[in-house]
Amino acid sequence: MVRDAPAAVVPSPSPPRPSSVLIIDDEPQIRRVVRAALEGEATSLLEAGTGAGGVALAAAEHPDLIILDLGLPDADGQAICRALRERSRAPIVVLTARHAEAEKIALFDAGADDYVTKPFSSEELRARVRAHLRRASGALRPEADGSITVGEVIIDFSVPAVTRAGSDVHLTRTEWDLLRALVDHDGRTMTHAQLFRAVWGNGSGDAQQYLRVYVRNLRQKLELDPVRPRLIVTEPGVGYRFVRAPRP
Amino acid sequence: MSIFDWSRSRRSPGPSVSDGTGAVGSLGVPPAHHVGGIAVIGWIIALIAVTAGMLAVRARLNEAHVALVFLLVILGASAHVGRTLGLGLATAAFLLFDWYFLPPYGALIITNPLDWVVLIAFFGTSAVAAQLLYRARAQADAAQARTVEIDRLAVLGAETLNAGRAEEALLAVAAVIRGTVGVDWCEVYMREPGHTRIVLAARSSGDQASDGPSVVAEGQLVHWVAEHGTEATVLMDGTSRVASSLHGFDGPSVLGASIAQSEGEGMFAEPSRVLFLPLRVRDRIVGVLTIGAAMGLDLSASRRRVLRALSYYAALGVERVRLVRDAEHAEALRQADQLKNAVLASVSHDLRTPLTTIKALANAIAASGDARAATIEEEADRLNGFVENLLDLSRIQAGGHRSDPGPNEAEDLVGAALQRVSGRTAGRDVIVTVSTDGDAPLVGRFDFSDTLRALVNLLENAYKYSPAASPIELSVCREAQWLAFMVADRGRGVPDAERDRIFQPFYRRPDAPPDVGGAGLGLSIARSLAVAQDGSLTYEPRDGGGSVFTLRVPALDLSDLETNG
Repeated sequence: MVRDAPAAVVPSPSPPRPSSVLIIDDEPQIRRVVRAALEGEATSLLEAGTGAGGVALAAAEHPDLIILDLGLPDADGQAICRALRERSRAPIVVLTARHAEAEKIALFDAGADDYVTKPFSSEELRARVRAHLRRASGALRPEADGSITVGEVIIDFSVPAVTRAGSDVHLTRTEWDLLRALVDHDGRTMTHAQLFRAVWGNGSGDAQQYLRVYVRNLRQKLELDPVRPRLIVTEPGVGYRFVRAPRP
Repeated sequence: MSIFDWSRSRRSPGPSVSDGTGAVGSLGVPPAHHVGGIAVIGWIIALIAVTAGMLAVRARLNEAHVALVFLLVILGASAHVGRTLGLGLATAAFLLFDWYFLPPYGALIITNPLDWVVLIAFFGTSAVAAQLLYRARAQADAAQARTVEIDRLAVLGAETLNAGRAEEALLAVAAVIRGTVGVDWCEVYMREPGHTRIVLAARSSGDQASDGPSVVAEGQLVHWVAEHGTEATVLMDGTSRVASSLHGFDGPSVLGASIAQSEGEGMFAEPSRVLFLPLRVRDRIVGVLTIGAAMGLDLSASRRRVLRALSYYAALGVERVRLVRDAEHAEALRQADQLKNAVLASVSHDLRTPLTTIKALANAIAASGDARAATIEEEADRLNGFVENLLDLSRIQAGGHRSDPGPNEAEDLVGAALQRVSGRTAGRDVIVTVSTDGDAPLVGRFDFSDTLRALVNLLENAYKYSPAASPIELSVCREAQWLAFMVADRGRGVPDAERDRIFQPFYRRPDAPPDVGGAGLGLSIARSLAVAQDGSLTYEPRDGGGSVFTLRVPALDLSDLETNG
């Protein structure tokens, strides 16, 4: 697949574009912490203390990224996620508790892009936000020839072909489909069901279990150390995420 | 005992029949017809009058006339007053007949042998008639008495069922027993559910000061009766008697009659002050009924019969109180559970917010080069880990944790586990061995998140309890129907005596260095999570020193997988 990106847009390294981040959290301390962590990453910060206020602000101000706390007292996290997604295409990073693991899948289906578990470090949040802002701004688009380089792996969807350390890697048709689904949403966590739909079409079923096996096969072929994956990262209980380290 | 037992005993009406007037408290009063002495005198006068009348016209009467007139009077007296008067008048009439109306007059001599026939036939007819009339009447009285008893039991049953609270129903039963059996006080004790303790559930007494079983000995008797299921009494002199257990309450005999067999005179032969009856529901002793009278109990057969029937209501009342308490207990447990969940959720949320602030701020300060801030962040992480473990443990032990086993791949799990511990095991070598059969992946049926947590706990445990220079080995292989994850370290191992205890919550090895973090929850949680998905977690000493913890989850065969997609 060839991304329809104009060849001119290869800004590397690029100065940070003006970006605005909306923080939706009922706890002022958390808002303060997030604001402190994101200084230097975002040029403007918007804050909302309620879900309804956050949705209104997102519709009015078109932020480039939204940070949403799941534990808002005034509304259900999934519902807010859905409402935000209806009004904005900005990436949504959810702040969640570890015990809400079962909820995560529903959140991703509702349109969330990523999550950070409380308590988080400033560094961790900053890294996530930076990655999503860069992706949203188009800084990580493919090269002019449509290829993507991650470490020693070069993926070219136009041929299609994958080389690892200069030697060709053979991928089956299903493995290609899976890789494309992951790369298309790089940086985003794809749930098992989303990946399954992208590769095998509609529905669910027993075949879903094979997704794990295809991921393993893909890792065997692409990863330097398959048990310490760097390209295809597992989000426990949720799905997988393709990680492209930002180019230096 | 059965409520129907007493109906059997009515086949022998005997002399003890009430007059059937039915007032509470008079039931079972010994037989006594309260028809006054005036009636007796009246009938005697009537006999004298008809004798005198017939004497005046004696010449024109024959034996048949005299016999019929006398018979009329005797039947009337028998029906009106009773058998005794009837028989008495019959005897008197017999003599008068002979004296005045059979020649020779004025003497008790009979010359014509045929007159004997007349006299004997007359007397026989009178006696039989009096007896028949008496029996008919007695049966009518008995039937009426039964009707009253049944009415009372029916009313009691309805009241018992209608009473709003179970305790009130029991109180009503005690009051009815006291009134009906005519005692000073009546108490119902119940066995505490799940305990052997006996508590007073209802008490009905005439006045507050009346003596209940305040004496220690009587309290002990209640326990004895509840324990052995036999009756007991306290005699007027304060000594107590217990029934032989061979002749239990459920024998065909009325209360106490069984004791008559074993002790000769029986429990009711000696005047007693207090009576203890075991209360049963379906052969289970649910409580004890006691009745007492300061002046001594007056228990006639019919009162005992009624007491039996009423004690059945008391047993049902006790059972109802118990069932209500059981339901209330279950409700209380449910509410406590809800409260605990609310507390868990609140603790989880309210601790996390300040921890997030502390961690994030410490992290930011540490970035500017203050080593102390790094320590603050580490400690915040440690506190968070402890809280999470506590919450997990209470959730698992309360049964509130639900694992969702599904097909998952072993290397995926290993990768996620290594990723998760990477920050904490920095600088430590983890040697990973995945033993696959050719190119086939290792697949199992397990909950990814739970198994990940268990594996991470094992890795952290190995990291804590082994020298920093030694590598930790993590290997995965298929063992028959199991997928086995083995975490091996070169620590000091676990002494034989401690091997089961290491999986108990809050266990810390005696030789644990004081700076090792954790509260001894990791292995306990890991084992609980493994067991929850039909897996296991075991310990073995490692060859050459150290420990091997093996986490097993059910393996899965994917023989029909098309690898070429």
